[in-house]
Amino acid sequence: MSNLLKKALRLSLLPAVLMIAGKFLGLFVLIAFYSIQFSVGNEISGIFSTQIFLPDSETTLFVNSISDLVMISLLGLITLYMILQTTILQSAKHNPRTIAKVVKFNMLKWVTSSTSTFLQIFIWTTFVVISSIITITNSLQGDTYLWVGITAGVISLLSIWGLIKTFEIETEKIYPSSSKHSYF
Amino acid sequence: MITKNKQSKVRNLLGKFLEPIALGVLALLFIIPTLTVINLEPITKNIREFTDVLGVATNSKVIVDLVGGTHEVLSVEKISKNGDSGYIYNAMLTQRESDFYSKPILQIGNNTDEEKILTFLGTTLNPTRSEIGLIINDQVYTLQHSTGQSESVEILLKPRATYDIYLTIESLVGVQFSEEFEMKIGIR
Repeated sequence: MSNLLKKALRLSLLPAVLMIAGKFLGLFVLIAFYSIQFSVGNEISGIFSTQIFLPDSETTLFVNSISDLVMISLLGLITLYMILQTTILQSAKHNPRTIAKVVKFNMLKWVTSSTSTFLQIFIWTTFVVISSIITITNSLQGDTYLWVGITAGVISLLSIWGLIKTFEIETEKIYPSSSKHSYF
Repeated sequence: MITKNKQSKVRNLLGKFLEPIALGVLALLFIIPTLTVINLEPITKNIREFTDVLGVATNSKVIVDLVGGTHEVLSVEKISKNGDSGYIYNAMLTQRESDFYSKPILQIGNNTDEEKILTFLGTTLNPTRSEIGLIINDQVYTLQHSTGQSESVEILLKPRATYDIYLTIESLVGVQFSEEFEMKIGIR
């Protein structure tokens, strides 16, 4: 079995668990906090047959929107943190001004080392994109607030942009641009 | 030396067998959370109309329950209140072959001691040569003809009775796109 596959399997576990946990926590924390009456049924046939029933459409819309927001925020914030850490560290290596700015904003401990790899960021971004597709679909069907759908879209686009940036950094390591090297 | 060679051969062979399984597991790590999150989406059920008796909301009058569930043609079912004594049922009719389809959509119960009149008026946005109707207590009613012309259905809901409402779709030709269906329900 290839090392890449082993690593991909290991790295996919945490975002997969967090995606479910984010939705689940968002749902049940709201139900508990607002003391919303709910029931669990199993009337739907298929692989997963459990459904959560809420008493009225306004409550359903509110609970679904906030739980979607919790899920996308949880995945999105971690992904954006990893992207920022990687890009700032790489920029600091080449640009002393970045180091000065990082010290000024007291962020040095954030970027002294980056454990995030391109594969890790790719996997996390994929989960962010999947969550965004679910949230945007819900938003278009009127099951989630429109602003939650827009937020999900923005987080997803930022993550994709960060992923491309990380890809550029990785390729720069392998094929450095000729302008940065002197052959004399 | 021979044992080491054998060990590495066994390891290589095992790796070749495990690789497709690992790929499947990796795919499942993406599919399972997606399906779980979709499944965790709450749905509205038991929309009840309450009567205030000296400020106590206990005596329920007419109960409109969404049956829910999955169906090959009907999806994204929703029910919402429309004014004081009405409801709107929305659903998506997906692309389908020419056939007859039916699905239980609502359960309406009369918890009062008087008769109630229920009116149903349902249409799709565009006529698609599909005849849409209702089956209530084994009686067939037409909501929309294949020409697109719709008609109102009126039924009597007996005291303390509960009716299962089935939606029927008879497509004369295959429909290659999804369409929205809306049905207004009036109670008086």
